Amino acid sequence: MNRLFDTAAPSVIDEKMLQKAVEEQGPQGQAGRLAKKEGIQYNEVIQLCLELRNILKIGHLWEFTSLTKLQLNNNIIEKIQGLEKLTNLVWLDLSFNNIEVIEGLDSLVKLQNLSLFNNRISVIENMDTLENLQIVSIGNNLISQLDNVIYLRKFKELYTLNLAGNPICQEENYKIFVAAYLSDLVYLDYRLLDEQTREKAGVDYQYALEEMRLNELQEQKEMEAQKITEQELQLHKDAFVELLNGPHLFDSMFADDADAPKLACLPGVTTLLDSYKTQLVALCMQMFEAGLTQHARRQNEVESFFSCSREAVADNQQKAAQIAADFERSRRQVIAEMQKATDTRLLEAQASKYSDEISQLCDTLMTLELQLVDQLEDIIKDFERNISDLVGGFTEYIQGIFAQCRDLENHHHEKLLEIAVATLDRVAKNELEEDLPDDVRMLFVDKDTLINAVSASHDTHLLKIDNREDELMMRINSWMSALIKSIQDEEVKRNRKRISEIHNYVDYVKDQLEEILLEEHQ
Amino acid sequence: MPRRLQQCACRYGNHVNGPPPPQACKMEVLLEVEPELEEAELLQEVDEKEEEEEGGEDEGLSELRELEETLSRVRIAPSAPHLLVQKAEVDQSEWPVSYRQNSTQEKLLLAMADSFRCQYAHLYPDRKPLLLCPVNESGVQKFVSTTLRPTLLPYPELYHWQGCASFVSDFLSLEPLDPPVDPPNKLRSPTWVLRTQRGTCFEFSTLLCSLLLGAGYNAYCVSGYAVKEMCLLNQSRQECPLLKTQVKEKLEEQKQDVRKYSVKPPRDLQSSFEHRQEEKRQEDTRIALLSKQKEAQRLQEERERPSPDPLLGLRVHCWVLVLSGNREVPENFFIDPLAGRSYPTTSEKFLGIESIWNHQNYWVNMQDCRFGCAEMTYDLADPVKWEYLLCGSNQSILLIPDMKKQQEAEKEEDEETEEPKVFEMPPSWVSKIHISQEDMESRCPGGAKLIQYRKATVEKFAPYLLKDGLVTRLTTYDDLECTQPNTVREWYKHRHDHLDERELKKATNVTVEQFRPGRSYALKCHRYITLVPETERQMDFYSHARADGLASRVETPSEMTETFIDRPDFLHYRHVTYGKRVRACGLGEIPNNPEQVQRPIQKVVERFHRDPSKAASEDVAEREFLLSEDRIQVTYHREEDRIIPAWRNFIKPHDAGDSQNTNAFTPQMASIFQVDPFKKPCKNLFLYETLMALMKEEENVLMRIKDSEKEVRAILAARQQEESGIELQISIYNTARNEKARCHREALERLAKEELLRKEEKELDVLAPFLAQLGDPESLTQQQALQLRADCLAELKQRLIDRANLIQGRFEKETQELQQKQQWYQKNQLTMTKEDEEAYLAYCSDAMFRINILKLRLSRHKDRAPQKYLALDEKLRRDPRLAHHLW
Repeated sequence: MNRLFDTAAPSVIDEKMLQKAVEEQGPQGQAGRLAKKEGIQYNEVIQLCLELRNILKIGHLWEFTSLTKLQLNNNIIEKIQGLEKLTNLVWLDLSFNNIEVIEGLDSLVKLQNLSLFNNRISVIENMDTLENLQIVSIGNNLISQLDNVIYLRKFKELYTLNLAGNPICQEENYKIFVAAYLSDLVYLDYRLLDEQTREKAGVDYQYALEEMRLNELQEQKEMEAQKITEQELQLHKDAFVELLNGPHLFDSMFADDADAPKLACLPGVTTLLDSYKTQLVALCMQMFEAGLTQHARRQNEVESFFSCSREAVADNQQKAAQIAADFERSRRQVIAEMQKATDTRLLEAQASKYSDEISQLCDTLMTLELQLVDQLEDIIKDFERNISDLVGGFTEYIQGIFAQCRDLENHHHEKLLEIAVATLDRVAKNELEEDLPDDVRMLFVDKDTLINAVSASHDTHLLKIDNREDELMMRINSWMSALIKSIQDEEVKRNRKRISEIHNYVDYVKDQLEEILLEEHQ
Repeated sequence: MPRRLQQCACRYGNHVNGPPPPQACKMEVLLEVEPELEEAELLQEVDEKEEEEEGGEDEGLSELRELEETLSRVRIAPSAPHLLVQKAEVDQSEWPVSYRQNSTQEKLLLAMADSFRCQYAHLYPDRKPLLLCPVNESGVQKFVSTTLRPTLLPYPELYHWQGCASFVSDFLSLEPLDPPVDPPNKLRSPTWVLRTQRGTCFEFSTLLCSLLLGAGYNAYCVSGYAVKEMCLLNQSRQECPLLKTQVKEKLEEQKQDVRKYSVKPPRDLQSSFEHRQEEKRQEDTRIALLSKQKEAQRLQEERERPSPDPLLGLRVHCWVLVLSGNREVPENFFIDPLAGRSYPTTSEKFLGIESIWNHQNYWVNMQDCRFGCAEMTYDLADPVKWEYLLCGSNQSILLIPDMKKQQEAEKEEDEETEEPKVFEMPPSWVSKIHISQEDMESRCPGGAKLIQYRKATVEKFAPYLLKDGLVTRLTTYDDLECTQPNTVREWYKHRHDHLDERELKKATNVTVEQFRPGRSYALKCHRYITLVPETERQMDFYSHARADGLASRVETPSEMTETFIDRPDFLHYRHVTYGKRVRACGLGEIPNNPEQVQRPIQKVVERFHRDPSKAASEDVAEREFLLSEDRIQVTYHREEDRIIPAWRNFIKPHDAGDSQNTNAFTPQMASIFQVDPFKKPCKNLFLYETLMALMKEEENVLMRIKDSEKEVRAILAARQQEESGIELQISIYNTARNEKARCHREALERLAKEELLRKEEKELDVLAPFLAQLGDPESLTQQQALQLRADCLAELKQRLIDRANLIQGRFEKETQELQQKQQWYQKNQLTMTKEDEEAYLAYCSDAMFRINILKLRLSRHKDRAPQKYLALDEKLRRDPRLAHHLW
C-alpha cells in the first residue's frame, strides 16, 4: 500500500512501547495514580491500542493473556503472528496493513469482531475455529473470487460483512450472490440488506441454495445418527457388555481360526455350526440383557447415593452457614462498639469475652463438620458394600453364562471331532461322495493331523471366550474401585477444604480483634 | 304398566288381609277397559273414591296440622325476606291450548296413572298418596312427568348443574307448602313459575330438573321428606358456603425415591427419660385443654341446637336427584333446589323418598326409609326396589331369578307378548322455557337477595344494580344473633378501577382490596388502614406486568420493603430504613405536604439472587448502604461448597462527588475477607474502582427509592379519587347498557324507519285527488266511499281507454304514412336515382319497425288493462280509508 510515511523506519514492538501504551491507555486520575503505585501487570490489561506506530512485525504480546480488544491498525504488518496466546480476544483490528494471507488466528476462538480492511488478502481462509464471529470487515482487499463468500457460511452469528472495494464487487450479481449465500446477514458494505435484494437472491439462487441446504441437512442428520450410535455403544461399554448383542463373539472366535473354514467343508458341519451359532448368540444376548439391567441398577444405586450425600452436605452446609452468618452479624456490632469504646478496661473485658465467643464458634463449626464426616463415612461404607454386592452378583451370573459358553464349545468340539473321524474313515475307505477341496483333503492324510487341526480350532475358540470374560471382569472391577476411590478422595478433599475455611475465618476474626486492641494501645 | 301392579298384587297378596275390597274389583274392570276408550265417568268415580279415602287418612294428621298452623303463626317470616315482585297475572286465554286441555295421549296416561294409584292405595293403605296428576295453573290435571320440559338454554352458565341450581335458587322465591305435610295438589308449569318468580319446592324442582335434563344430566325430581330447615329454606344454621376456605389439599407427591443412603441424624445426647417426662406433661396439658375445648364446643352446640321439630319426618319436600353416568358425574347426588346446593345421597337431612320421576317415567320407592335415605340404592331397573309406572321406557328390566314368581308371571307374560306396543310418555304440555337476558342478569327477584347463614349474611345484587358495582356482600358476625360484625367482604363487578374484592376486618380496621389486572402500576392487592401515605400498608403487584418486576411493597412508618421477581439484575429484595423526619422548616410551619420534607434514609439493604454467569465470590449477594454512617458493605455469594461468604466493606471517602483528585483512597478504607486464603489479595486499584461503582449505585438506589415513594403517593391519590367518583365499566358488547352502542343502534333504527316512511310517501295516493274534491273529510260515509271507489275506477278506465286510443291513433298514422310513401314510390319508381331508392328502402324498414312496436304495445296494453283495473279495485278495497265501507 502506498503510505505517506513510507520513509519512516519500521519499528518493532518492544518493552518501552508497550509500557508507554499501557500507561497512556490505563486508568486516569486517582485510579491512575493508584495503578502506577502498584504497577500494572500486563496479564491484566483488557484493551491495548498500538495504532499508527509503523510496526512491521507483531511480537511480545504473549504476556497480555486477558486482552479482549487489540488494535494494530495503520501499521505495516505483513504477517499475522504472535497472537496465539491472546485467547480472550473479542475484538481484533488489523486494518490498513500489508497482510497477504489470513493465518495464525486459530486460537482466538472468542473473536467476534475482526477487521482486515485495506490489506492485500486475496482468499478468505484459515478461520474455521472462529465460530463466534459477528462482524467481519475485509474491504479494500484483493478478493476476486465470489466463492470466497461461501466460506463465510459457517459463521452462524455473522451479521455484518464489509467486502467493499474488492474486485468481486465489480461483478454483476455480487450483492445478490452474497445475500443468497449468507441469508442471516443484516448489513453488507455499510448498508442494510433490503428485503428486495433478499427476495431476488432467494429466487435467483433457489436451486443452488436448496441443494446446499439439503447437503448440509444430510450431513447434520448423519452426524446425529452417528452420535446416537456412539452414545448407544458408550452405554453398552458402560454396562461392560458391548458387542454381545449379536454374533460378534462368535464371529471373532472363528475369525482367527485358520482351520475353521476347512473343517466347515466337512459334511454335516454346516448345520452343526448353525445350531452352535444360534445357541451362542442366545447366551450372548442373555448376558447383554443382564448387563443392561444391571447397569441400570448400578446407575440407580450410584445416583441415589450421590443425591443423598449431596443433600446431607447441603443441609450441613446450610446450618454452618447460618451459624457463621449470625456470628458475623454480631461480630460487626461488637467491633463497632469496641471501636467506639474509650475505657481500656472495659474494652479488654469485652475483648476477652469476644475471643471466647470466637473459640466457641470454631468449636461449633468443627463439631458440625465432624458430625458430617461421621455420617458420610457410614453411608459410604453402606454404598461400598451394596455396590460390591451388585457387581459380585453380576460377575457370578456372567461367569455362569461364560461357563455355559465353554460347555457349548466343548460339545461342539466333540461333535466336530466325531464328524472329522467319521469322515477320515470314509476317506480312508474312499467312500466319500463329496469332492473336498485339496487343502481340506490335506487334513485327512492321517488322524493326528486331523485331530490337531480340530483341537487347535477348539483352543482358539476357548481362548476367545476366556479373553472376553477376563476383559469384562477386569473392567467392571476397575470401574468399581475407581468409583469408590473417587468418592473417598472427594470426601477427604471436602473435609480439608472445610476445615481450612473455618481456620481461615477464625484467623481473620482474631487478627481483626488484635488490630483493634493494638490501635487502642497506641 | 298397570299389568305389572296386578302382578305385584299377587306378589304381595299375602300381606293383604281379608277378601279384596270392592276397589280391587273396580281395578280389574278398569284393566279390561281398552286404554283407547275415554272412560271419563269411570275415572271420575275412582277419583272421588280416592279423595274420600285421602280425607280419611288425613284425619289422622289433623292434629299435627293444627299444631303446624299454630307454629306457622309464631314462625318468623322466612329468613330470606324476598323482594316479591308480583308480575302481572296472565289471563288464561293467552295460554296455549296444551295448558287448557289434555290430548288423547295425556288422557290415556291420566287413566293409567289413576289405575296405578288405585292399586297403590289399595296395596299400601298406610303410605301417603302419590303425587301423580296435580292440576296445573289453569286447573287441568297433568301428569308430573309431562310437566318436565327438558330445555337447554343458550347461556353457558346453565350448562353445568352448579349454574342451573344457583340460578333456580336465586331466581325464584319460595312459597312454603300448605299444609307442610302433604304434597300440593297443584303443580304449575315452569313457564308460569319463571314468569311470576315464585313457586313451591315442587315447582323449583320441576324447573331445575327441566334445565338439568336439557343439559344432558340424568336428573330426576324426587318427592319425599326432609328436615324443617331444608323445607323452609332456613339456612341460618348452616355455614355460609362462601366462607368455606378451599383447602387445596396439596398432595405433595413425596418423591418415593429410595432414601437408601440418607444420613443418620446426629446422636441425641439428651436424657430420654427427661424427654419422656416432659412429653407426658405436655400431653396432659394438651388433653386438659382439648377436653375443655370440647366441653365448650358441646355447650355451644347445645345452645345452638334448635327446638325439636314435631313434624320431623313428615314434612314433604321435593328435590332433584342426579344419577352418575351422564356428563361425567362420578357419583349420585342430590340437589336442593331451594338453596341450590348439592348433598351426597347419604345426607341425613333427607328423611325419605316416596317417588321419583323424570320426563320419561315415574318410579315409586319400595325401599325402607325409616332411617333416612342413606341406605337407598338408585338402580331404577330393579323392580323390587323401584316400582315403575310405564313399562319398557329405556330401562331394561332385570329378571329376578325367582322361580315362584316367574311361574306366576308366566301367564301375564304371554299376554304381554301379544301386545308389543309400548306406551310412551306423551310429550310435555309445557311450552318452551325461555329466560330472557335481563332475567339472567338480574337473577334474584328485584335484583337483590339476602340470605341468612350461621353467623353470616350474604347479600346478592344484580350487576349494575348498585352504583358502586357491588354484587355480593358477605358479613360475618361474632355472635349467633348477628349483631357484632366481624368481617365484611364485598365483591364488585364492572368497576372502572378494576376493584374486585374488598375485605374489612372490623376488629383491626384493616382493609384489603383485590384488583383485577389492568390498573396503572399493575396493582394487585392493597392492604391498609388509611389512605394516608407513610402509614402501614402492603401493596402487591402483578410483577410480570411491571418493567421493574416489583412483586410487593410493605410499608411501616419507618421502613419500606420491596420484593421483586424475575429481574435481569437478579435483585429480589430491597429494604429501606428511615430515620426521624428532620423538621427543616421553622417552628410555625407544619409540613403538611410530605413531599417537601423527605424522611432521611438511614439504611438500604439490597439482596440479589445468584447470577450463574459470574463467579460466586464476585457475585454480589447483599449490598448494604449505611447512609448514616457513610459506609457501604457488600457481601458476595457463598461458593458452592463453602459456608462463609466473601465480603468487602468500604468507608466512603469524604467530599465524594467533588473532583476525584481531592478524595484520596487509602487501603484502610476497605476491609475485606477472602474465602480462599491462597488467592492473591485484591489490588487497591480494583477496590477503588469497586468503591466508585458502588457510590454511583448508591445514588441510583436513592433515586429508585424516591420513585417508589412517589409511586405510592400517586397510587393513593388515584385510589382516593376513584373511590370518590365510582365509575362502572360497560363492555362495548353490552348493547343494553353501553350508551354509545345504544345510540348507534337507535340511530340505525331511526334511519331505517325514516327510509320506510319515505318509501311509503313515494307511493302515490290514488285517492288523493278525489278526496280533495270532497274537501278532504276526516272520515268517509258509506256512500262517499262507494262514490269514491266508483270514481276512481272510472277514472282509471278512462285513462286506460285514452291510452289505448292514443296508441291506436299513432299506429294508424304510421301505417297511413307508409302507404303514402309506397304509393309515391310506385309512381316514381322508374325515375328515381339510386340514392333516393336507398333512402326509401331505409325509411320503409324504419317505418315497419315502428309499426311493429306500436302493434306490440297495443296488444300488451290490451292484455294489461283489465289486470290494472282489477289491481286498483283490490287496492281500493284494501285502502284503510275505504276498507270498512267496502267489505
